[in-house]
Amino acid sequence: MEFFSPTDLLGSSPILALGLFSLIALLVNAFLKNSAGMVFYVSAVGIFVAIGCSIYTFPMNATAFSDMLLVGGYASFFSVLFLVIALFSMFIAKPYLEREQYHYGEYYVLILLATIGMVMLASSADLITAFLGIEMMSVSFYVLAGYFRGKLSSNESALKYFLLGAFATGFLLYGIALIYGTTGTTNLLRIVTMYPQPFNDPLHIIGWGLILIGFGFKVAAVPFHMWVPDVYEGAPTPVTAFMSTGGKAAAFSVFLMTFSVPMSMRDERLMTVLAVLAAASMLLGNWFGLSQTNLKRMLAYSSIAHAGYMIIGIASATPMGQQGIAFYLVSYALTNLGAFGIIAMMEKENGGNLNYEDYAGLGKRKPALAALLAMFMFSLTGIPPFAGFIGKYYLFASAVQSHMTWLAIFGVITSLFSTYYYLRIIVYMYFKEATNHEEIKLPGLTFATVILCGAGIVLFGIVPSLIFDLMKSIF
Amino acid sequence: MNMYEIIFYFFAFITVASASVVVFSRNIIYAAFSLLFTFFGVAGIYVLLNADFLAITQLLIYVGGILVLLLFGVMLTTNTVNIDIKSGSMNVLAAASVVAALAGLLGGVFWTSDWFVSKQMGELPAQTTSKEIGTALITTHVLPFEIASVILLVAIVGAAMMARREGIKSQIPSSK
Repeated sequence: MEFFSPTDLLGSSPILALGLFSLIALLVNAFLKNSAGMVFYVSAVGIFVAIGCSIYTFPMNATAFSDMLLVGGYASFFSVLFLVIALFSMFIAKPYLEREQYHYGEYYVLILLATIGMVMLASSADLITAFLGIEMMSVSFYVLAGYFRGKLSSNESALKYFLLGAFATGFLLYGIALIYGTTGTTNLLRIVTMYPQPFNDPLHIIGWGLILIGFGFKVAAVPFHMWVPDVYEGAPTPVTAFMSTGGKAAAFSVFLMTFSVPMSMRDERLMTVLAVLAAASMLLGNWFGLSQTNLKRMLAYSSIAHAGYMIIGIASATPMGQQGIAFYLVSYALTNLGAFGIIAMMEKENGGNLNYEDYAGLGKRKPALAALLAMFMFSLTGIPPFAGFIGKYYLFASAVQSHMTWLAIFGVITSLFSTYYYLRIIVYMYFKEATNHEEIKLPGLTFATVILCGAGIVLFGIVPSLIFDLMKSIF
Repeated sequence: MNMYEIIFYFFAFITVASASVVVFSRNIIYAAFSLLFTFFGVAGIYVLLNADFLAITQLLIYVGGILVLLLFGVMLTTNTVNIDIKSGSMNVLAAASVVAALAGLLGGVFWTSDWFVSKQMGELPAQTTSKEIGTALITTHVLPFEIASVILLVAIVGAAMMARREGIKSQIPSSK
């Protein structure tokens, strides 16, 4: 009896590579003294190997391990995205952790393990693998959020995230159980072939509703957003960068994949529920963003609002919406990694230098840094020629295509709110006098990463077809 | 009401009653001990459902392992035995209405729907499931099985990192 086919091994090769290198990194960390730097390099090599595996499997279009995993296309695209995010967030983390004197090897090991969970999420063709991926990613995040063990804010962040996250997991699992109860399988590819019969069963719909609550929590959509501001503010800045980009992208990749099953019915009620979720997230996220003074908190509320924009793509249930989400995730990830990279460089001990006032006069003190931050803020607002504009355009257009014009108009109006708090930082940087004349150190590794992110959003903003051409073969 | 249903309601009553003691008791030791009966009642329901492997695992892991660990944790942590650990309740009205709505919805739907499995119930001969589960775990479900072990690795690494002594620069005042 043959257990594995070559497709199984190839299909899971990014996961296997990450797993192997995380074990090597763990052993290096255990047996060598002062090995945090070494662990960093081992982890980086692991990520490069996994990127190679993902790119190699891109042209394949198959499933592995008895339809548990998707191989190639969708899975490869998102895997490469998560791996790049993980790599960039490690580059931001290394100088930051060295400065804070919290530089231990476990940090990189946990990043690798969280990335395994993310890759699982993007490749899952079965609700079981989706659940395991979510757990793997979340458990790593709970630990990473509390990485500064001596800091109260970090402890608070980890505890809140853990308690609420465990609660949300309960909903997800309950939903999966109900879907299994009504269809007799957890496999998405098999459930979709049974339609429309199970869809007449209210139990089946409630199952999807409960799963929606679970995913809504992970992507930080209103009304499941309560944890976001405190967790993002309290967690170490590079961890926040990783959570808000990688965590969100991974949650959206699995949200999109699993919900393509019930959305294939184009059921009006489900579309309305998702549209309301999107509208509420855009409104509340942007509304509370207006009154923030702390940049990390502001970006947390902005992350809620951006979850709302992306849910439009799921609610519209068109290929355009799906491509829009994938593009938006790329641009959002690059933009947020860059913004958090700058915040990590500016931050002083014990959470100092995180307010708007601390950025006053940055335009004169560090012109390059200020220009990059301004670019990221323009991209988050959705101003051309940056990538954020193209993503928003596709998402709003998909809403119009699905006869939800009100949602597109609502999105544009709430984006106008967000202009205030994104551009406010630019006003501080360029039109206010500096009050703080402490020297700002720019560690080369972080600065190079931020420049790469900036180059990325300009490139994808001007030549979006680089990504859209790839996506034609996926969706 | 046949014998099967009587036994089912017996176990269901044990589960729900002891679970409410866990939630409402103000003494942590009482709560921990009534968890024993909750796990036991659930194991009984698994037996009724022909899920023998699951029932045994439930007893071995939850009652034998996790619960004992929990009790040791409670007893070894000083000053928690007689302490009132429950904090006050907030937003009682809002929480109660949401819970009531959700429970009503789920209950109503459970009452009215056809269960997928219920069509075959009673026709299946009583047989052990452990062989099939074992085969599934190393053939069709080998990936989730292996990944579950990696999740345990994450938990161990995380716990070890959180708990270690060295290099803590605490701003948290010590309990003395």
